[in-house]
Amino acid sequence: MNPPPLPSKQPSLFANNFVFEPMPNPGNPIRALENLLKYPGRIVHELHQTRAAILATWLLIFGIAGVAIYGIVVGAQSGGAQMWIAPAKLGFGTLLSVLICLPSLYIFTCLGGIDAQLRSVCGALFAAVCLSSILLIGFAPVAWIFSQSTDSIVFMGALHLLFWIIGIRFGLRLIDAMGRFLGATSRGHLRIWSVIFVLVCFQMTTTLRPIIAPSKTFLPTEKKFFLANWFETMNGTNEKKVK
Amino acid sequence: MIKHLKTLLRGEVDARCLEKPNVRWFIAYCIAIVLGSSVYGATIGLWRAPLQSVFTAIKFPLLIFLTCIGNGAVNGMLAQVLGSGLSFRQTAFAILMSFAVASLILGGFSPITLFILYNAPPLASEQAIIGHSVMLLAHVCVIAFAGVMANRRLSGLLRKMSGHDTTARAVLFSWLAGNLFLGAQLAWNLRPFIGSPQLAVQFLREDPLRGNFYEAVWRAFRHLFV
Repeated sequence: MNPPPLPSKQPSLFANNFVFEPMPNPGNPIRALENLLKYPGRIVHELHQTRAAILATWLLIFGIAGVAIYGIVVGAQSGGAQMWIAPAKLGFGTLLSVLICLPSLYIFTCLGGIDAQLRSVCGALFAAVCLSSILLIGFAPVAWIFSQSTDSIVFMGALHLLFWIIGIRFGLRLIDAMGRFLGATSRGHLRIWSVIFVLVCFQMTTTLRPIIAPSKTFLPTEKKFFLANWFETMNGTNEKKVK
Repeated sequence: MIKHLKTLLRGEVDARCLEKPNVRWFIAYCIAIVLGSSVYGATIGLWRAPLQSVFTAIKFPLLIFLTCIGNGAVNGMLAQVLGSGLSFRQTAFAILMSFAVASLILGGFSPITLFILYNAPPLASEQAIIGHSVMLLAHVCVIAFAGVMANRRLSGLLRKMSGHDTTARAVLFSWLAGNLFLGAQLAWNLRPFIGSPQLAVQFLREDPLRGNFYEAVWRAFRHLFV
């Protein structure tokens, strides 16, 4: 007997994740986290229901908390006061980045032909941040091992940014999924916005520096752009080593 | 009103809304222009001084309205001569709609430009020129993006109204050419918007009607190459 023929078009690798269906037990925040990882399509679906505000709030809280937890690993390289300064800065910086980029996200969803309410747009962004923070927590042991193996701020800074980029890449897929769910006519706008969000977050790490290394002041006394700060740090103009 | 503005941003405005222009929507577009462009204008002027940000917040929507009024007659005539079938009133409405789209986009970007400004080295610092360059580039990109999106929406609307791609394109380019030509001159008359560190903060420069944007560009060109 011959085996059944293979379908002519293979489904995409992540197709099953984005099935837009109701989430069982939507009031349970822990279930929400589980669904965010395994069935993000359910989160997208729930964010367009009447109870979306409660879910969105939980997602934001978990997102900020998750980033702050990762901040402990970031601060562990220097130790001392950085153990609380790094989580505080990362949590606050994430919240600030979300608030700065939210108005433009709302505009860009409209430009993309999406008819979404403000609470749904907020919820999608909070979900993206929450998912990226969950992945960051997953990377935390790896980051800690490397942080104990080197004194180089540049190396660890690049590694933390890399982990964050991987996390936010998955997070921004949620926003793309929201676009698909709501019948976006053009997804290019949300992709442009994603680039803007990443750039704002990069700059935020410079605005709130130092995060890895200790400093005499909580916030920097000199204003710099992200690339300028990185080049100066790599060239050794800034203090390069922790010890 | 918000629902209509969202429809406008999505580019799903029905051609019927132009066939019978509604006063309520007219007010909505004016409010969108005033709010969006004022807030964005404030972030432009803030680099120079807080007072400059107030001046620019007033002048940005003023520039838009003066351009619409100044070119109102010729835009209406061009629309009719090129066979779009739009009346003067419908032309004014369509152009206001596109400026409303641009203003909403600019308003949405204002927290981001404010954040860039916050991170720019201050005027008195050695790195001020880098800060000024980044700010200028950011504003140029944002305004260009808002302009492109607004004109895409306007182009779609003209296509629905006229029924012909060629007519819609001809009308759009003729309006663009006229608005850019007059808009550049009005921006020159209403300067400063960003403000120069060497000059005092003023609402308008001395004798604002004297001088010409195109002559200034020609002089700069001659200084560079001749």
